[in-house]
Amino acid sequence: MAFADDGRDPLERYSRQMRFPPLGEDGQRKLATSRVTICGCGALGTVLANHLVRAGVGHVRIVDRDFIETHNLQRQILFDETDVAENLPKAEAAARKLRLINSQVQIEAVVTDIDHANILDLVSDADLILDGTDNFETRYLINDAAVKLGKPWIFGGVIGSEGQSMTIRPGITPCLRCVIESSPPPGMTPTCETAGVLGPAVSVIASFEAVEAIKLLAGKLDALNTELIMVDIWNWSFRRLKIAGLKGKVDCPTCVRGEFSWLEGEFGTHTTTLCGRNAVQVAVRRGEPLNFGELAGRLRALGEVKQNAFMLKFSTEGYEFTIFPDGRAIIKGTNDIARARSLYAQFVGN
Amino acid sequence: MPSVLIPTPLRPHASGLDNVTGQGDTVGAVLLDVVTQHPALLERLFDGDDLRRFVNVYVNNEDIRFLDDLQTAVTATDEISIIPAIAGG
Repeated sequence: MAFADDGRDPLERYSRQMRFPPLGEDGQRKLATSRVTICGCGALGTVLANHLVRAGVGHVRIVDRDFIETHNLQRQILFDETDVAENLPKAEAAARKLRLINSQVQIEAVVTDIDHANILDLVSDADLILDGTDNFETRYLINDAAVKLGKPWIFGGVIGSEGQSMTIRPGITPCLRCVIESSPPPGMTPTCETAGVLGPAVSVIASFEAVEAIKLLAGKLDALNTELIMVDIWNWSFRRLKIAGLKGKVDCPTCVRGEFSWLEGEFGTHTTTLCGRNAVQVAVRRGEPLNFGELAGRLRALGEVKQNAFMLKFSTEGYEFTIFPDGRAIIKGTNDIARARSLYAQFVGN
Repeated sequence: MPSVLIPTPLRPHASGLDNVTGQGDTVGAVLLDVVTQHPALLERLFDGDDLRRFVNVYVNNEDIRFLDDLQTAVTATDEISIIPAIAGG
């Protein structure tokens, strides 16, 4: 790495990290030439991005579909009340904050909903994919993409005071679907809304993901986690479930049989209930951006409309629509997918 | 008797307990005893005679799929865990 204009060694800011012998300067140099994609920039994603940018990972791409709300601030550590007031997308607000923290890192904000049509573009140039999502549909999609590309990814999930994480290296470890063959159907599992979530629980799991990322990118592969980690910070329980033996023992549709059902759009819907928010996202592909001005004109007669370049908010009949230029809408006030589709059709049109 | 650790999402269906003991010398027999004690767990764990696909069961930190599945032998000191998939984040 070249010296900066002020003549100081750009690695100097990482001195305390490099003095940790298992990482060292060689590890630090590898971090500086690494690229990651962080999928989701909510609770897990903000902690992940914070650690990796501070640690000096060379290129960090942050992908998120959402905007910041006041109830995010309890645990989403990169955001503040100003971001809420400005209606900023999470990816953009995180990038702005992180650029102030470490100007050596290339930080790329992508405001989009990760789906089967765009995921390969978002991850194919990354050395590692990190899970900052809040739903299994996207995780199985990440798993499909990672296995198909032979790219490592790190899974993390949190609810209440509990969380779990594992490091997935296609061809070497079991994949997500080997270990968690299927996620519970809606209604069979608590959401963030019913069970809540503690900020420290998120920090613990995201920190596990971050340190695994640092090891992996720095080439310290022997130190990687090979188990399914389960933590409950309220009850002080920490478990390491042995999963390495599943590799080759399970007839996994994804990593053994090569079926990429999420990536091919066979599984997964274009409608998603959003964890903990009594809301449904309806994604409708139009191929061209929405005309906000025209839409706002039509909606003003029916309810309150607010807009900026990134979104249009519309409130009516106890529902709040957040509509994005790509035609996607988050409809707050219902968990019922059919109702949300109907509301979309009535107010936005498709 | 072997104990079964009940994960948070299932505790409301097991009288709020985080740990239930069940009689039996296989994982399947113990779980059957547990769902007999707490019938609301039955449909959440089983689909007919099989575990539901999203239910993961471990004995002493090992997945029963690489032991003998529901036929995995257990003794009084073994700990059976039902591991939920945690979705949030």
